[in-house]
Order: sequence, then C-alpha cells, then structure tokens
Amino acid sequence: MTVTQEAPVLTDAIAVEGVARSFGSVRAVDSASLTVRHGHVTALIGPNGCGKTTLMLMLSGLLRPDSGEIRIAGHDPRTDSAAVRAAIGWMPDQLGSWDNLTCLQTLTLMGEAYRIPRATARERGLSLLRRVHLEEFAERPARVLSRGQKQRLSLARALVHDPAVLLLDEPANGLDPRSRVELRDLVREFAAEGRAVLVSSHVLAELDEMVDDAVFMSKGRTLGDDAAAMVADARLKYRIDALDPEALQAALTSGQVDFEPTATGAVTRIDGEANAAQALAWLVGQGVQVHRFGPVGSALEQTYMAMNEERR
Amino acid sequence: MSTETTEHHLPASDVAVNPPPRTGNPWLPTPHGVSLMARIELRRRRPSTKGYILYGILFAIVIAICLSAAIFTPAQLSSTNFEIVLVMVLGVGMLIAPSLSATSINGDSGEGVLAPLQMSHLTAGDIAIGKLLASWTVSVFALVALSPFLVYTFLNSGWRVGEMLMTIGAILFVVLTFTAVGLAWSAIAARAVASVALAHLTTGFFVIGTLIVFGVSTLLFTEEATQRDRYIDWEQLTPEAEEALNEAYMTGDYSALDPADYQCVDSEWAYTITHTEHVAWILLTNPAVMITETAPIVDPETWEEDGRAAPGLFATIHQLVSQARLGPVEQLDDHIVYDECAQLFQQAEASDMSDEELEENWAEEEARHMERQQEVANLDRAPWIGLGVTGALLVGSMWIVVNRLRVPYKKLRSGTRVA
Repeated sequence: MTVTQEAPVLTDAIAVEGVARSFGSVRAVDSASLTVRHGHVTALIGPNGCGKTTLMLMLSGLLRPDSGEIRIAGHDPRTDSAAVRAAIGWMPDQLGSWDNLTCLQTLTLMGEAYRIPRATARERGLSLLRRVHLEEFAERPARVLSRGQKQRLSLARALVHDPAVLLLDEPANGLDPRSRVELRDLVREFAAEGRAVLVSSHVLAELDEMVDDAVFMSKGRTLGDDAAAMVADARLKYRIDALDPEALQAALTSGQVDFEPTATGAVTRIDGEANAAQALAWLVGQGVQVHRFGPVGSALEQTYMAMNEERR
Repeated sequence: MSTETTEHHLPASDVAVNPPPRTGNPWLPTPHGVSLMARIELRRRRPSTKGYILYGILFAIVIAICLSAAIFTPAQLSSTNFEIVLVMVLGVGMLIAPSLSATSINGDSGEGVLAPLQMSHLTAGDIAIGKLLASWTVSVFALVALSPFLVYTFLNSGWRVGEMLMTIGAILFVVLTFTAVGLAWSAIAARAVASVALAHLTTGFFVIGTLIVFGVSTLLFTEEATQRDRYIDWEQLTPEAEEALNEAYMTGDYSALDPADYQCVDSEWAYTITHTEHVAWILLTNPAVMITETAPIVDPETWEEDGRAAPGLFATIHQLVSQARLGPVEQLDDHIVYDECAQLFQQAEASDMSDEELEENWAEEEARHMERQQEVANLDRAPWIGLGVTGALLVGSMWIVVNRLRVPYKKLRSGTRVA
C-alpha cells in the first residue's frame, strides 16, 4: 500500500507520498501516503476529523499541500492543477445542488462547464440519471429531492466528464439500504470501466464488499503496512458455530488448528474458499454438528475497531 | 495491469464524452466560460412565481406613473422628470445588484455549489465575471422595466439621444463597479450578512462619505482675513445729532449735518474664505457626481435658444460642483472698505452724481455676477476623476475576486470549508 521506488508511476492513477497540510496551528494531515491503481477501489477509513476530507481536497486539486508529492493520472497538482481537476470526478461530502434547476439541467450545465457540447452533455446527463435511478426526476427541480436522491445526483454530477479518477467522500451517507447496495454495484462498475476509485466512508460493512484495498487514517497519518496486515488477517477469520461448542473445540484441538473459542463455537483463520470448503467437510466428517460457518464479518470494521482500541 | 483492456467497458446506456484536455492552471476568463457561468447564475436565481407576481405589480405601478405623467405633462420642456427617472435607475441598480453579488460567492460556498464549478473547466475568471455580469444584468432589467417612463420623460427633457446614452452608460458602469465591490466582499467575508453590509457601506462611503470628507477637508483650506470698517458711533450721539442723522438718511440730504457732532469708530471683524478649489477633486470622485458630470451643460442664459429645458437637477449639481472647483470669487485685497463717516460727509459734497454712479456700480456688480454664473454653468464637465476612481475600483475588486477563486487554495477564509 505504500509507494515503493520501483512501482511504475504511470500505472497508479493516484500516487501520494508524504503529504502534509496545516490550517494555522492545526495539523489536519500530517503524513499521508497511498496509491490507487486504475480499475481498483480503495477505501479511505478513519474516525471523524482524522483528515480524510482534507486529503481528498488536496487530491482533487482544490487545496495546496504544504509538502509531499501528489500525482493524479500522471499530473502534478502544483504545476498542472487544471489537468488534475479535469481527470477527477469528485463527489464532495457536502451536498450542494442548484435548487431551482432540474436534475437534467444541473447535469447538462455541469457538462457544459467541462466544455462538452450541450446536446452531448444533455444526452450524457440523461444516461447518468438512468444509471443512478433518478430518471423520473429529470425534469423536476433539485429541491424536491430527498437527501439520498441528492447524494445520487451528486454522484452523477461527478461523472459528467467521464473522469479516470473518482474521489467519493462519504457517498453512502444518508442512503437507504437498497441504495447502498446499488451504490456498491455502481462503484464496482466504475472500477470495471477502468476508473480508479478512492472512497471514504463510515459504513464499513458496505465498504468491505466494495473495495480492493483499504487505507486507514488516524490523526492525520495514513497507517501503512500494519493496518494492511491487520485487514488481510481479518479477512482470513471464519466463525464456526456448532450445536455443541465443546465438541467443536475438541475437534479443532485434536486437529491442531489454531482457534479462538467463543460462547457458541470458535473463530479460526482459513486462507481461501477452497480451504474453507475442505475445512467444513473435515469438521462434518468429525461428527461436529456445524450450524453456522462463514467469514467473521467486516474485515475493515474489525481492523478499525482494533485500531481504535490500540489508540486508547 | 489490465487497465488497457478494461478502459472502455462502458455500459450500453453510457454516452461517450470527450472533454478537451487541459494543462497548467489557467485563470483568465473565456467567452464560453463567462457566458455559461452567467447563464447558470441567472437560471438559479430566477424568481419564483411569487417573485414574478411582485415584479409584475412593480411594473404595473411604473406604467401607472407613466400614464399619469403623460396626462399631467407641462407644456414647456423640463428635464427634472427625466433626471429623477435616471436617479431611480441608479438607486434601484445600486441597491439590487450589489445585494445579489454580495452573497454570490460566500453563499455558493456555503451551499456547497462553488467547489464543483471550480473543479470543472471554468476558470476563476469565468466564475468571477460570469457572476458579475449575472448580478449586473438584473439591474439592467430594472432599467428596461423603467424604460417607458425613461423614454417618455426624455422626449420632454431637452436632452439629445447621445447625451442620454452617455449618462445611462455612466450609470450602468457605476452599477457594474459596485456590483463588483459586492462580489469582492462576498469573496472576502465568510458570512453573507457581513458581506452585504460591507457592500452597502462601501457604496455609502463613495456616495455620501465623499461629500462628508469634502466638507471636512474644506476646513483645512480656509483663510482668515480681518476687515476694518468705520462707523459712526451711535452710542455717543446727542439726541439732536441722532435725529438729524436719521432725518438725513430719510431724505438723502446730508448737507445739514455737522461733522463735528459725529464721532467715528473703527470696527474690526474677521471672515473666512474657503478655498474649495483645492479639495474639489474629492467631490469629483463621488460616483453620483461623476454621473451628473456626464450630463449636458445647460447655459442659464441661452437655454431657450439652444432647445434645452431650464437648468434642472443635474445642471444645478454641475453648477454647485463647478463653484467648488473654481473656488471663492472674492480675493482678500479687493474687499471695499466700508466707511460710513467718509460716505456721509464726502458724499454730502458730491451727492448729485451718486445716483448714476450707483446705477453704474450696480450694473457692474450685476454683470460680474452674471459672468460668474456663466462661468460656473459652462465650466467644462469633469467626469474623468470619477471615471478613474470607479474604473480602479472595478478592476481592483475583480482582481480580488479572481485571486480568491483560484484553486488550489493556499489558505482558506477563516471559518470556512472548501466545499
């Protein structure tokens, strides 16, 4: 997750090394390093006020870092800020919309602001509204939209110019469960289209299924390999519940498997789905009455919680 | 890496777009960007149905005024009606446009709609000038709404078309400048309340404050002069002498008076001469004065032959301003000493020629006064200082706005967020 000297810069859509930024005496971002490759989704995770939004603003070319290196799609925001901004689709955490304008007008005008001819911008706007399921609001003013709908309009707005890099700041805020699932699918689609996606969120369970990588941030610093290792470890954890927990634990002990006992069974580490299938078959073969067998849950959430515990 | 192969897996519904590439960090305005920004602003600040009803009522009132003016029109030319309409256009413009522009940038930033625009291909110059023109256009609408009245009163004003266009141009330029000032405040202050107040305070300073500054600074250019006159000392007069003097004043026959009965006293008094010509330029920086200085000169003698109306509001202001520019008439040394004693007893000997001489003096005085009137009224118009100040204010304000809108931000306004 950290930039290494050998890594070819061009394959990384976002490359950040040692970026810092202060507001007066407040050090909002102390030292941030991360890379996001084309076609990948990376999560930016951290508690409130840890500097996520400030980092995103620096990546988007709106805020100048005090120090450090940033490359977005190969451009340096210090010398080529306009190129950086042109490459980025940015969905801010603050929802702003032109209340008087319809959704379609909003997207058409934004498209024109990117110098896309009006007819094309309009067509693109319609297709984007379809994509975020707002087509029935195309001709209605943005002020009638609910919070979640505005969120989706904001997402569509970030896509009007077909950006190679997407920065999504808290995109799942205020979305209903169905919209969250749709958002997850959309984000995966964006990555499949070859875009690099950096997404920050508090809804860690959603992120788990959405992202390829995760970057943890705490007090203005990105946590590098340690956090990555913790996530990787958390991904291996499987929860096994049996009707008779003691029999399960005995079987595991006899099979010389490392495990943590729980009230209803055990948590163990299994690498890969094939191994998991094998393990389940073995347990059943041992006569253990397994009624539940599966990954523990959000690897990101486990890491996040473990990290917060460490800080205390 | 599978970047190349996955790059174009667009869903069937997706429309391909090719925004032009960009390099560097341009900030200069472009025609496309400015017109787009102005369009966005005008659309999103478009009044609601209630707003349209309100404007409709206003417009109806204006029409009613026009109709009543048409019915009660005076037979002779009069420029005052027309000038009042011009003042209305200026007043409405100075109130509406800066109010709109003064909430334009901090308002957008607070609503979270500014940063997405800064992310787009719109440059800082596009956003600044687009917003300026959009707010200004609203005051042009006010001009259009008042145009029937304007045209009607113009027809009776004795102004020429070119003169009208020039003064309206000056009004719109002043409104544009103070719109830019409002925009600059909205780029500087974080809160809309503060920026609106500051915008109106700035307008107030230039329109009213300069008059006060002028008034105060004239005190720095005053000359004290003392004047000595001689009077007969009435306190010391005997009753008979007093009666004889009163008698003489009544009849105009001073020959019966005996100089020995009358004692003369010297009286000294101080007076000030204010040299307004040194500080008249402060008046000329006033935008309202600048506008009146673009109005046609009306000669107080020949206005009828010239096809003008009698000197109206603007011509009067021009005369007042010209008086300030020319300074006081009287010079210290040409004050004529008043000597009651000498007048009484010398004129007693030569009282025959006094009537004609007085006539002549009066005529001379009158001619001097007329000449001064002519000079004051016909003094060359001086809008240039005002134009310069207004232009500098416009350019300076827009420079602030563009600088404040350029991203990446180096520092943020205190108490604000980027998005």
